[in-house]
Amino acid sequence: MSAPIHIPMVPSDPMEAWTARVNGAQFTELAHSHSILLDVLRDHVGTLGVKRGCDMGTCGCCAVLVDGEPVLSCLTLAFEVEGKDITTVEGLADGHHLHPIQQCFADHGGSQCGFCTPGFLVVSAALLDKEPNPSEAAIKEAIEGNLCRCTGYQQIVTSIQEAGEMLRNGLTGEDRTEAASDPHPVGPDEPTLPPGDAR
Amino acid sequence: MSKGYRQAPSGSSDKKRKDGKRIAGKQDFGVPGSGGSNPYSELQDIERIPNSQGGQLEQPRGPHVHDPHITGQTIGKATPLVDSRWKVTGQAEYGDDIRLPNELVGRILRSPHHYARIVSIDTSAAEALPGVRAVSTGMDSVNRFGVLPVTKDEHAMAQDKVRHVGDLVACVAAESEEIAIEALSYIHVDYEVMESIHDMEDGLLDSENPIHDRGKYHIGESNVQKRVFQQFGHTDAMHDAPFQSKSDWTFAGLHHGFTEPHAVVAHWDPNGRLQLYTPQQVPHYVHRALSSVLDVPMHQINVIRTFVGGGFGGKSDPFPHEMCAAILAKKSGRPVRINFDREEVYWINRGRHPSRIQMEVYADEKGRIAGIETDALIDGGAFASFGHVTTYYNGVLHTSPYEIGGFHYTGARVWTNKPASGAMRGHGAVNSRCAVEVAIDDVCEQMGVDPMTFRLANLLPPHCRTITGFRITSTGMRECLDEVRKQSGWDDKFRKMPLGRGIGVGCGFFISGSGLPIHWDPENFPHATVHLQCDMDGGVTVHTGAADIGQGSDTAVAQAVSEVLALPLDMIRIRSRESDTAPVDLGSYSSRVTFMNCNAAIRAAIELREKVLNAAWEIIGYHPDSLVLGDRRIYYKRDPAIGVSWLQAVHKAQADTGSLIASGAYRTPPMGGVHKGAAAGLAPAYSFSAYVAEVEVDPETGFVRVIKAWAAHDCGKALNPLAVEGQIIGSCHMGMGQVLSEEMRYGRTGHLLNPDLLDYKIMSVHEMPEVVPIIVESNDPEGPFGAKEAGEGPLLPILPAVVNAIYDAIGVRVNELPVSPDRLYSTIEKQCRKMGIKDPLDLPNPSFEPSALQADLENRAKEHAHRDLQRDLLKDRSSYVNGVLFGFDPDRPLPEQSEGWRESVTPTPEDLADPKKRAARAWSHVERRKRRDDA
Amino acid sequence: MKTPPFRLHRPTTIDEAVNLAADLVKRKQGFDWVSGGTDLLANYKWHINTQPHVISLASIEELTRHGAHHIGAMVRLHELEHGPTHPLLRKAAGTIASTLIRRSATVGGNLCLDTRCFWFNQTEDWRRSIDWCHKCDCDTGADCRVIPNQNTLCVATYQGDLAPCLMVLDATIHLAGPEGVRSMSIADFYALDGMTRNVLKTGEFVTHVSTPEESNDLDGDYQKLSLRESWDFPEAGVAAAWKRTDTGLSTLRIATTACESIPRIHLESAEAALVDWNGESTTIEVAEAIRREVKPVNNTYFPPAYRRKMLRVLTKRALKGTWM
Repeated sequence: MSAPIHIPMVPSDPMEAWTARVNGAQFTELAHSHSILLDVLRDHVGTLGVKRGCDMGTCGCCAVLVDGEPVLSCLTLAFEVEGKDITTVEGLADGHHLHPIQQCFADHGGSQCGFCTPGFLVVSAALLDKEPNPSEAAIKEAIEGNLCRCTGYQQIVTSIQEAGEMLRNGLTGEDRTEAASDPHPVGPDEPTLPPGDAR
Repeated sequence: MSKGYRQAPSGSSDKKRKDGKRIAGKQDFGVPGSGGSNPYSELQDIERIPNSQGGQLEQPRGPHVHDPHITGQTIGKATPLVDSRWKVTGQAEYGDDIRLPNELVGRILRSPHHYARIVSIDTSAAEALPGVRAVSTGMDSVNRFGVLPVTKDEHAMAQDKVRHVGDLVACVAAESEEIAIEALSYIHVDYEVMESIHDMEDGLLDSENPIHDRGKYHIGESNVQKRVFQQFGHTDAMHDAPFQSKSDWTFAGLHHGFTEPHAVVAHWDPNGRLQLYTPQQVPHYVHRALSSVLDVPMHQINVIRTFVGGGFGGKSDPFPHEMCAAILAKKSGRPVRINFDREEVYWINRGRHPSRIQMEVYADEKGRIAGIETDALIDGGAFASFGHVTTYYNGVLHTSPYEIGGFHYTGARVWTNKPASGAMRGHGAVNSRCAVEVAIDDVCEQMGVDPMTFRLANLLPPHCRTITGFRITSTGMRECLDEVRKQSGWDDKFRKMPLGRGIGVGCGFFISGSGLPIHWDPENFPHATVHLQCDMDGGVTVHTGAADIGQGSDTAVAQAVSEVLALPLDMIRIRSRESDTAPVDLGSYSSRVTFMNCNAAIRAAIELREKVLNAAWEIIGYHPDSLVLGDRRIYYKRDPAIGVSWLQAVHKAQADTGSLIASGAYRTPPMGGVHKGAAAGLAPAYSFSAYVAEVEVDPETGFVRVIKAWAAHDCGKALNPLAVEGQIIGSCHMGMGQVLSEEMRYGRTGHLLNPDLLDYKIMSVHEMPEVVPIIVESNDPEGPFGAKEAGEGPLLPILPAVVNAIYDAIGVRVNELPVSPDRLYSTIEKQCRKMGIKDPLDLPNPSFEPSALQADLENRAKEHAHRDLQRDLLKDRSSYVNGVLFGFDPDRPLPEQSEGWRESVTPTPEDLADPKKRAARAWSHVERRKRRDDA
Repeated sequence: MKTPPFRLHRPTTIDEAVNLAADLVKRKQGFDWVSGGTDLLANYKWHINTQPHVISLASIEELTRHGAHHIGAMVRLHELEHGPTHPLLRKAAGTIASTLIRRSATVGGNLCLDTRCFWFNQTEDWRRSIDWCHKCDCDTGADCRVIPNQNTLCVATYQGDLAPCLMVLDATIHLAGPEGVRSMSIADFYALDGMTRNVLKTGEFVTHVSTPEESNDLDGDYQKLSLRESWDFPEAGVAAAWKRTDTGLSTLRIATTACESIPRIHLESAEAALVDWNGESTTIEVAEAIRREVKPVNNTYFPPAYRRKMLRVLTKRALKGTWM
């Protein structure tokens, strides 16, 4: 029996230096001439928040911002965006302050299993950046290339609207490192009695 | 206020020396790490305490056994998922995000044939390729596995034959993915192609080479994997009923369509233990399967569940690629990561079974359901998976919510040379539920009765038994129907809208946890176990094996603990990932996690609370019975000023042992009948739902657009309304996909034509209508704080609601799903031809003329509403079994009261006489052991 | 998924691109053009007709020119949607795939879209399991899987949305190649069969399309059939442009797409309709004529009989503006 027909995967040309700004930091990585941006981001840069869902442009999980514009990284050649400014989900937060869109996806059920979330977040962050008060139709158009299997989109749309509201009011997201509940709260000397007995 | 002490604003100062030196053993560590965001603890919020406990929280359906443990912390509050921050920052690690140092990439060689014998495999050329570190074939792993112990029919890789295109043949681990792909083409496999079968009806026939050989249990020489027969009630008399609906349905196979493809990382650590990272719904089954496939004791394996990028049942089998990764990692001595391409996700499948269902619903002159007769043939594909159970579920899960005079079910599952079907959200219940609900609409049309009224007049009450013996406890079915009727404006819309606009209703019924654990006897082991550990920091670590797959099970368990202990959610830490640290849990399937794990968590938390309260007793001198748990503070109920902080009490409780631990477990009460198959469909509680969908149909193109859906679901108690609503809307999305666009399409050569997300049509944001989620709380007596499932049941009603709405819109009944535009258009064309209409826009608009029965049923519905309320509030404690509506005495065995009443699970020749019935044909074969011709 | 290795070339001028191509031809090296990559890279990931070289047009500034009557090949569909061209083009552009795809995909790429077929647009493993097909036979001489027992014609379907709209606007397409530049009516650009697709010679590529000034006077509509509003390729598409006069219509052009291997302009049917224009009833006649002219095959999502019947409905709807 003869070997099945196959298009050879190796060898490829030697790798070349690929440079870009990713989430504000300059990266120089070795990549093939034919490398796909998604692969470079995941396997070399290490931004594993960029997800591989369908790998052919129909789920939007791999979306990143290139110079502020949403792009499907699975259908983008790495060298086509050389030297550009790339933002992934990891680059949305301002230090330990969540971006309002992140805060709202967490708080309003925009994220269930969370796999499509990074794609939705960058796409909607780009939308809100241009239009902090988008109509429902504009939101739907912005996220029409993102597939969510968990939420049925409704809570995602709400999350985006809420984030727009936060941005319009100049609010930032929660400080993730802020101390939370103290197991040893120290109350006032004389707490007021509740009306009647609790029990 | 004579005894006890008042909590001081800061630690006691009298122990401190003024000279700056410390006294041995007298160091003050009362407030380590203080500085919380809220320095003042709060008392219990009276508005969140149930009225049974003296609070102000209304309980329309009476008190619940968990009421004393309500502290008002989180239950019933919209709570963001506890792991959502990981997800929104991109730090949640899914299967393919696990990158271990020195990893290899694995790829799988798959069968290009539907069905073929493997003559030889030569891997030498692949092994010689530079960069290849390990190659493995079926020779390396001969042990069988499968999710159900009764049907273990899978191997890591094909042994002697391949059973579908995409079946695993060999695997390779290499330094890069490119090399691994390349190496696959160097593996030479000689196949001897065999005749494959693709149509499920062919699976009923004898075959020279059945796809599997089950030895003495094999059914004839056929490809029938499982067959079921159940007959209860007046199954002969029902055929004489005046109103009959008979339909023959075709349901396409479905895929879960989760966004994360399967991925796995295997690593044998330096101690020789296997560490397996996998996005799984059932890590424990994987644990067991790995052990038996690899011949390694379970304690040598640690299964680590990663974040799961959607499951929906599609990640609830132990998978062959998980075995492959482990084998390759062992051979190469390095970590191996396998990540699926989207196409491979469809090869492993386990989606909804393609099904052909013959549905007959009979109604008598009093507007009662005289009987349901169902014949379901389901296409299992190449492996058993959960199919054994699916075969039952297609029948037994439509014995409720209606009271029926007879139930006749024949089901069969066959093997075909397709990717294996398995469990998918609404497991086994979805297709036959759709057929039942549409048939009910059809008999209502014949009777001249509003389908809403008909349903309300035929519901089983709370605390009853179904015709096959399921124990129903709480049910909010009536309220669900009432709500959607009211909110959708049903009475003004039904049969009153112009041509092309329609409204339809459908109901659903689903299990909340499978009553029988698959792997052990519930008499010996509980269904779920949860451990709590509280350390000096005062936070509580919860160890559970429940798999959070995005549905929020970690959050639900954390909420349960937080509620009982009155601790804020951020003080509860969930460790649910590793089999090394988690108590055994069966996994996330059959909607069991909230019900079972939260119940176990509540028990564990009660135990922990007792220890802490006893410690507080020692400190402040009041008996725990008079102590109240407020927010991080325990106080005397008559004087909240007297109390201790949580941390002080915890430290006291830890004083002698240094530890504070507790454990809780849940097992189901005894339930159900004793007939063969009685366990299938048994659950400690059942969820109910009713939806109304409003659609717009374009008669010229066959396009259906759902405009709005009102979705009422009885989840017992919404522990987290945000998550429940998310589940309801998400279920609607998935169900609407099934009814309108999604299908796994097989071409004339038997190949799956759409193994990708472009042609597997999941609805985009544009097709998704507004869904109004309506939460109905029936307060289940055994559910955690009254809760039942909300993840699967909400999917069921949307299908029939849409199909019924299509009828209301254009007067055309469909019986093939999905109702894609081309299918609906050809149905419209047929209708037009039949009626002699040229332009589909001239189709007659269906109308409604109520018959005399309508008023009778309205009255009965009213009476039943009163009956149900009495039973709900336990004012009426009489027993109720399915049959009371037909005049039976519930306290005597039904067969004694009527001669025609049957209870049988073995068919007689007469039962199988109808040659048109498909699954019935599966019974024409005789099991080998019964023929005594097994070797 | 991984593409087989190839060398990416990124010329910055048209001349450089043409020379690069000529050089590769001379060296007998296979190559493809890429602009947005949304069509080509998806095919490459499935190992469909891959080449060792890929020349990207993305860095050629000149190709991004975008005016009311001039659309560079590198104009992204998203830009076209919000650009200054004829409303018909903007509308059609807005219906293509998803907004994420439209941000990458280009006008040139859409016009040169590879034809599609469910026996062809599959992974390498999948196509091996059917022993390949005529369009990508991997040198096996495989037969067509849609219409077996003929291997002379590829019947894969062209599923681009812009071509029919440009046809009814009477646009001109401009090409550049080693033999110089040339222009032609867009209707003449397409050539049977599903493999040939168009008249581009090796080394030649689309630089831009231009629409005549007179197209300003035309009204038009584009109607497409697709299951979802996002992602899906058209299963049938009808573009129409017309000029209304007081008495009726003075111009009428109708073109269809997604039903055959190339888009098609229906000159005769439209002509005939103009002769005795009678508003709605004529549109129904034209719609029927178009249905008869187009013969789809079974290789896209919807069955061909349905697509054909829908052509009639789409035509009727596209022409609504002629009488309403």
